[in-house]
Amino acid sequence: MSQTLSKLAREQELPLEFADYHESIKITGFWIFLTTDLVLFSCLFATFAVMRYDYANGPTPLHLFHMTPLIVETALLLTSSFTCSLAIYQSRRQNKNGALSWLILTILLGMGFVGTEVHEFVSYVNSGATWHQSGFLSAFFTLVGTHGSHVTFGIFWALTLVAQLVQRGITPRTSRKLYTFALYWHFLDIVWVFIFSFVYLSNMTGGKMV
Amino acid sequence: MNQILARLFPPQTRRPDEVVIEFGIIFAMLSLVYLLTRLKKWGWLWREWLTSVDHKKIGIMYLVSALLMLFRGGVDALMIRSQLALPNNHLLPVGQYDELFTTHGTIMIFFMAMPFLFALFNVAVPLMIGARDVAFPRLNAVSFWLFAAGAILFNISFVIGGSPNAGWTAYPPLTELRFNPGVGENYYLVSLLIAGIGTTITGINFMTTILRMRAPGMTLMRMPMFVWTVLVTGALIIFAFPPLTIALLLTLLDRLFGSSFFTLGHGGMPMQFVNLFWLFGHPEVYIVVLPAFGIFSEVVPVFSDKKLFGYPAMVGSVLAITILSYIVWVHHFFTMGAGPSVNAFFGVTTMLIAIPTGVKIFNWVLTMWGGRIRFTVAMLWQLAFIPAFLVAGVTGVLLATVPVDYQMHNSYFLIAHFHLALIGGTVFGVLSGMYYWWPKMFGFMLNERQGKWAFWIFVIGFFVTFVPQYMLGFEGMTRRMYTYPPGLGWGALNMVSTIGAFIQGAGFLVLVYNVLWSMRYGERDVTGDPWNGRTLEWSLPSPAPAYNFATIPLVTHRDEWWEMKQSGRANAYKVKSSAIRPVHMPKRSAMPLFMGISFFVLGFGMVFSWWIIAIVGALGVIASLFLSAFDYNDTEELDPQDIRRSEAALGRLEV
Amino acid sequence: MMADRFYPSHGTGAMNHIEIAENEDRIEIPVLAPHFSSHKFPWHQVFGYVFSMALTAIAFLLVINQMLPVASLVFVVIVLAVVQAAIQFGVFMHLRESRGMAWQMLVLGLGGFIALCVVAGSIWIMMFKSGVS
Repeated sequence: MSQTLSKLAREQELPLEFADYHESIKITGFWIFLTTDLVLFSCLFATFAVMRYDYANGPTPLHLFHMTPLIVETALLLTSSFTCSLAIYQSRRQNKNGALSWLILTILLGMGFVGTEVHEFVSYVNSGATWHQSGFLSAFFTLVGTHGSHVTFGIFWALTLVAQLVQRGITPRTSRKLYTFALYWHFLDIVWVFIFSFVYLSNMTGGKMV
Repeated sequence: MNQILARLFPPQTRRPDEVVIEFGIIFAMLSLVYLLTRLKKWGWLWREWLTSVDHKKIGIMYLVSALLMLFRGGVDALMIRSQLALPNNHLLPVGQYDELFTTHGTIMIFFMAMPFLFALFNVAVPLMIGARDVAFPRLNAVSFWLFAAGAILFNISFVIGGSPNAGWTAYPPLTELRFNPGVGENYYLVSLLIAGIGTTITGINFMTTILRMRAPGMTLMRMPMFVWTVLVTGALIIFAFPPLTIALLLTLLDRLFGSSFFTLGHGGMPMQFVNLFWLFGHPEVYIVVLPAFGIFSEVVPVFSDKKLFGYPAMVGSVLAITILSYIVWVHHFFTMGAGPSVNAFFGVTTMLIAIPTGVKIFNWVLTMWGGRIRFTVAMLWQLAFIPAFLVAGVTGVLLATVPVDYQMHNSYFLIAHFHLALIGGTVFGVLSGMYYWWPKMFGFMLNERQGKWAFWIFVIGFFVTFVPQYMLGFEGMTRRMYTYPPGLGWGALNMVSTIGAFIQGAGFLVLVYNVLWSMRYGERDVTGDPWNGRTLEWSLPSPAPAYNFATIPLVTHRDEWWEMKQSGRANAYKVKSSAIRPVHMPKRSAMPLFMGISFFVLGFGMVFSWWIIAIVGALGVIASLFLSAFDYNDTEELDPQDIRRSEAALGRLEV
Repeated sequence: MMADRFYPSHGTGAMNHIEIAENEDRIEIPVLAPHFSSHKFPWHQVFGYVFSMALTAIAFLLVINQMLPVASLVFVVIVLAVVQAAIQFGVFMHLRESRGMAWQMLVLGLGGFIALCVVAGSIWIMMFKSGVS
């Protein structure tokens, strides 16, 4: 039994990040962390859902949201998810420079996303829509802002990864770190998909859903 | 300057008894520092404890903190009971009474029950599954230091700035800034946020450890029952703590940064806090009680000399409780009035939990049935648990009936119910586990005779305290009541309850005496298997060496160590010299301690909105993250020769 | 056989530890079995990108042009999001990749269930406030 299993594992060409047993354990741990984050965001989504009509005297989504920044942010983040997956693809081919350049492109796209979002938030606040004004705005800023701060954290994380890749090349450990970063980045992309669907688009339809 | 002092030490809270306690704390700390310097123990403390990433040592640090917090929470409880002993009593000022029930609840749940359980997780789980450490040893230390930072931050609120006073549930609008302008609630929010990060990491860590680091051959259905309960507790933690984090964070944003989540004006929605809080709060009940179930499932077979009855049913019921515990949270606030369909749904799901719990009770009883029971202290706690938890569970089903709950909500009936569940379940469980695993942690036994005294005094006090509270609840006495007029018929019952509380306090003192006496005179455990145990941790010497297992065992049965002994492999624990290979172990690190200190500074700055201090702390957190990202030199290799030598010294080497 | 497992064996040259696979749980269901993809060209990734962009574009166009009644519009947008999330998990996040049993699928499934309970449950429980306010 055990021999057939080890034979199986040998035949299965493991990618570098899974080849080291202990590094593969860290990937499992990171998945569990992501699940925690999933539930964390679900609580923010729930709060937004509960408070989405509590406008008090503040603006409604139709007055507040604009399509242009939303489309720019979405395009940037979805593309960065794609470039991030290409960084993993290159790291599995042991192509250090390829992995590095895709990773740097991912960082730049992420920065573009955060920049656009900050610009969007500032324009809301300048138009008088602060989060003090209503429960809806509090929930909106906190949910979208938590996602934005996750992306910001991811950018700094990726910068340390760039340094480590330059320093050490693609080893089981650096490739595992790159892989977990990619999981994190794609996960944020998924959260964004729900944000633009659930927070923006659903509330820009003009009618009120119960 | 005066302004700062006035915020740190608001004049209205200075009272003589507090000043005495404060000076007592300062004196105790100074004498500790003096003692450490005098005995030249600073280096030892730093190397062996503060920077350790060894799960066994982290477990012991959790245990010591939990016992200290049990003392603090217990003193709070005695002060509450003293205030309630007589009608129209004004022993304590009303403000201080509010602070006491808040800190009592918060400390007992977050800073006593959870660390006590984490102590046992850390001590037992890696040894039970045949692993050399947990999956993330350094993060394990981070968890501990974040817990410590949170606990210290919460406790200094007593001396600096004022304690929280809105109950351990901290419902808005009691916590809203304009109704509660002091820093007490900030302490509550920030310290629980910090400790909560640590707890979440612990959950991830132990889930990963159990899922991925079991010894070869230890399939899921061969895991000891305690490991099963730790696994599902990990799952409960990782899903329950995010809602708490969000609930606390949003309240903090309301208080510090002027958002409008739970405010009464500006379209705020206070009930959403309650909803989020109990999304955490109900699973939390199972977080603290399921591991206790696991401990009992280890203790009962060992001291009944029988294998656990109905192991698959036990696993199934633990899993059922896990799933169900997520869909019952509304029963904590039926009276919000969410409507008949919502309340009916959550009432039914709540009652369903009684089924798997009942299965477990039957299985423990049937394990004992026909066994040769040894009445050790660990077993006695288990025996007291069954009636206590049965009463708690049955009254819980009563409370799940929505119309009854409308009547009993927040009365002393509820107080009696959850104290029977949490003391009878969790505290009895962790004490049973403490007596059971004590020799494995420290290498000596706790004196059984004194332990039995502590047990009987505590258990008698426990029932004397809480049974009258059921009756008080029926008679209409509500929770968190400061005082009550005479003539309601509550006086005698309250007096009995208070006497019971002091009996429990006496039981705790005997327990402390038991520990201190045994440290000096306790019997050494030279066999490593003092109880004739069944699971792998008893195959190791007590205390286990740093690397735990010289060679990783190959598991073929459920109670592997028991089977080894039964099949006549008497020397089964001996290690073949040739089989010992080099072992990679994590290196000790100061990063977790530094991270804890940074979080403490960050938290302290946030409590008082002193942003420069907060930023300094935040920079410390970032620095420790950054440094560990670039630290590739975090393991060291143990020389097989050293392992052979240490195994030979323990008499366990087979050449 | 008694395979000694090294505690973390970090650093390079760790490829030779594959023989310790016998202490890893496996699952028998072939669809769920661990699976690693390797191609000469990143077909998977390109497919995922094109598909996610298309789904996003559909959602945006539907809303911009208000092509459906409100209730069904919201429903369709949420369904599109769920489909896109599934693609992200499957294609980009290599959900099925794992040593031994793919535990993350179980944990993530449970997490998804909890997340659904939290969001749907909160909406359901808090509906009462439209009656009282």
